[in-house]
Amino acid sequence: MSRSESTRETQAPPRNSWLSTEIVAPFVVFVAAILLWEGLVLFFKPPVFILPAPHQIWQSFAANASNLIAYGLNTFLEALGGFIVGCGLGLLVAMAVARFRLLAEVFVPIAVASNSVPILAMAPIAIVWFGIGPQSKIAIVAVMCFFPTMVSTVRGLMSTSPDAVALMRSYAASDWQIFAKLRVPTALPFIFNAFKICTAVSMIGAIVAEFFGGAVNYLGVYIKTEANILRTPNAWAAIMVACAFGMAFYLAIVMLEHVLMPWHREPS
Amino acid sequence: MPIITVDNLSKIYGQANASTVALTDVSLSIEKGELVSLVGPSGCGKSTLLRLIADLETPSTGAITVNAKTPHQARLARDYGFVFQAPTLYDWRTVVRNVELPLEIMGRPKHEWRERVDKMLGMVGLREFHDHYPWQLSGGMQQRASIARALSFDPTILLMDEPFGALDEFTRERMNLELLEIWDQTHKTILFVTHSIAESVFLSSRVVVMTPRPGRIASVVEVDLPYPRTFETRESSRFFELITVVRETLKEEFIRHE
Repeated sequence: MSRSESTRETQAPPRNSWLSTEIVAPFVVFVAAILLWEGLVLFFKPPVFILPAPHQIWQSFAANASNLIAYGLNTFLEALGGFIVGCGLGLLVAMAVARFRLLAEVFVPIAVASNSVPILAMAPIAIVWFGIGPQSKIAIVAVMCFFPTMVSTVRGLMSTSPDAVALMRSYAASDWQIFAKLRVPTALPFIFNAFKICTAVSMIGAIVAEFFGGAVNYLGVYIKTEANILRTPNAWAAIMVACAFGMAFYLAIVMLEHVLMPWHREPS
Repeated sequence: MPIITVDNLSKIYGQANASTVALTDVSLSIEKGELVSLVGPSGCGKSTLLRLIADLETPSTGAITVNAKTPHQARLARDYGFVFQAPTLYDWRTVVRNVELPLEIMGRPKHEWRERVDKMLGMVGLREFHDHYPWQLSGGMQQRASIARALSFDPTILLMDEPFGALDEFTRERMNLELLEIWDQTHKTILFVTHSIAESVFLSSRVVVMTPRPGRIASVVEVDLPYPRTFETRESSRFFELITVVRETLKEEFIRHE
């Protein structure tokens, strides 16, 4: 049989092309922004407590690096805990809800509406409920991660094309087979989009929840204390540590996505 | 005994006061090993008829038998393979994994998979693309993979719903020849839906001409062109005569409805 068909459309892009677009390009922009910041501070000379130069922030970081990284890790573990609980429950509820169209029609609008609820405003209440320790932060982060994950997952599970389902029916596939071999793979890109949003959400949630109270060895508490006594370079150094953890978390999810979805095609 | 029979079939969508008659009074019988085309304009119910035979929809009245069973029993017995207009390959599976999907669903023993899949990919000329993902294939290759998938579990019947409708003219003509080759090798009974008169005449031993509003069979044209059909078949005068016969039927129906 003929094999002469054009291979024009059969060329795969280089396997690691996503490295250059997703990591290298943003990194270049990041370095340029730091240099611009340094130049502007050098030129306008604002008081250091208003805006320190990047090299001053770096000095603050270097002087206190091991503590800051330890604080960052503490806060990150809260964020991670909340992420796992919130995203995990979001996935489970979505799978239960998507099983029954009626449930989905009731719950998805509620979940979407809850996106406009400022969940962080409940942080003081969470402290009343769960105490001043990490549990209250994990609870807030979990609630913040739950809704986007659930909504995206339900959408993903229900976005199968009618023919893709009809194909399964033509093989007399069971409901469970249709779920595991069609609906879940179809939903994966939606789920990972939610996870990526939740990495940022979880770091924000943990830090801001700490502003309302917590132990001194957490980033949010440290940032608030240092800013209150106008040692802003220290606060900035802690913010940078938070950024680093946030970015590492995001990249870890992106890598997991590429491992679990090797077929995924980057939009070029 | 015919392998597929359709008796006084009708399909009505919607409720009494807002209903659409998709098919009315359709009767048809297809012998084992035949290649029959259903041709007609959009809305004539040709795809609906195919989906009713496949038990992907249920008839309003009338009866269908497939392999002497109801369509539902035939579907559960995996008596047919279905090829959709869109290739409907699963994006997350390579060509091999797509073609073995039905074997996996049906719980066939794993040692059987490789042998069947390899044979099917050889037949459609995709062996060297076995580890490609669907998006890395051209439209024609995707549809070949989809045909290989429909045949991987060796069903007796192949139901094809405008499988080459989205392909360009040149690819479509080559796919027609390849389908005839597959038919010759496998002796499947093929029911082929198309809106191309030339395609229906070129492929089949009988052309079932259908007309819309309401969808029904207007005529059945016997195609006496000898097999194997080749590129030259398309240039024969009999080929054009038969195309004209089909076209005339559709024209009469068209005028009747003006």
